[in-house]
Amino acid sequence: MAATLILAVQIYLAVGLVVAIAFLGYGIDRVDENARGVWIFRPLLIPGIAILWPLVLLRWIALVRGNVEGQGRYRPPLALQPALALLLAVIVPIMIAGALVIRQDGPNEARAEMLEPPR
Amino acid sequence: MSVKYVPVQWNANKWVYDAALLVFVAIYIAVFLRLGTPEADVSRPIDAAIVRMRAFGTCAFFMLTAILCIGPLARLDQRFLPLLYNRRHFGVLTAVVAFTHASYVYGWYFNFTQFDRLEAMLSSNTAFGQLLGFPIEALGIFALVILVILAATSHDFWLSFLTAPVWKRLHLLIYVAYIAIVAHICLGYLQDAENPLFAILFGAAALAVAGVHLAAWRRGAVGKARAEGWIDVADPAEIANGRARILQLGPNERVAVFRYDGTHFSAVSNACAHQNGPLGEGRILDGCITCPWHGFQYRMTDGCSPAPFTEKIPTYKLRLIDGRLQVFAMANPPGTLVDPVIVPDLAAPPDPDTFQMEPAE
Repeated sequence: MAATLILAVQIYLAVGLVVAIAFLGYGIDRVDENARGVWIFRPLLIPGIAILWPLVLLRWIALVRGNVEGQGRYRPPLALQPALALLLAVIVPIMIAGALVIRQDGPNEARAEMLEPPR
Repeated sequence: MSVKYVPVQWNANKWVYDAALLVFVAIYIAVFLRLGTPEADVSRPIDAAIVRMRAFGTCAFFMLTAILCIGPLARLDQRFLPLLYNRRHFGVLTAVVAFTHASYVYGWYFNFTQFDRLEAMLSSNTAFGQLLGFPIEALGIFALVILVILAATSHDFWLSFLTAPVWKRLHLLIYVAYIAIVAHICLGYLQDAENPLFAILFGAAALAVAGVHLAAWRRGAVGKARAEGWIDVADPAEIANGRARILQLGPNERVAVFRYDGTHFSAVSNACAHQNGPLGEGRILDGCITCPWHGFQYRMTDGCSPAPFTEKIPTYKLRLIDGRLQVFAMANPPGTLVDPVIVPDLAAPPDPDTFQMEPAE
């Protein structure tokens, strides 16, 4: 199970690396005016593209086809952030209280000592 | 702003900000390594590698706590805005510290296995059905993946490429990561440490995050109604000179009506083109609306950034009826010129000490 999961992640990231090379070598100049002719910042984008390559491909295709959003660019998720903030405010105290309830007290023993490195 | 990309945007203020962060991390790690061993659990011997992983792990937690507090604090009190200015560097450094913590865990607990180390880490504890002894590694890996995604998409390119609303939704994963980290600590270190010092600091920090978010949530509650047609804004005299009145027009849309030059009024989108920062909470500097988050600027009448920058935001029609300002709820395309409403015989403007906000009818 764990080996299968690791293999799947490795394949996913390998595909992402191929997408990153294609996008940074060819696509980015065609979809972002501020990136044209500028290469030095592109290696910084490789990890993000390797992880989010399906999203990058979708966005790349949309921009090439001219499917750019209009007013949507200026409509931030105003309602989502307060909802998540409220969730955080409620769930964090519950988790801490729960952790203290199930906590097992340890024995009273001697003070810890730093071990010597092996010789 | 919209000029050619550079790897990292630095200026004098950001150097100071980043230097302060690095000094904090260095001092925290040094103090923890000095004091961490005697504060640790004594039921079994503890070695230097474990103290180091705990030092970096708890440091990442406190850094993430600070990052999460900055947003609501800046909303509650504008004196915290300078902390918001360079928060992305803060986030990247936090991801690096968290990754260092994970590297110590990976390189110590799973260093002597006869199996593949990653496989061993994922399969050594699969007791997901119990609280005590829960495989906290899974929670830590989950949170670390989110922190890495957020750090990897922190460059301005991503904001432009994905658009600010999509980028913002992606970066809201920080809340999920924080909840996972709190659970990681609650079921891990908090169960193990004998000395109450860390439990007190951890509880205080996490509850502070919860508290400031609750306070900001109460202040910034968002309605769901969508406004249509002409919407009443305010008596012109109620808006402070150089400041704005913010109205909500839809679930995710706000307009900022600015007063400037004493008698002029213009309406623009409240969302900055950069990170959708709240323009209406900013000021007019150098003749332009200036975003309080990162200083992006726009002209009041057409929503365009001054040359050589190319950002644009939508504008709105504005009119004066029976002594009241009214805004048309449908936005103009970004960069549309709208003549300002001029109200020549205005009373003295109120004190512009705080921004003003009022929900739409």
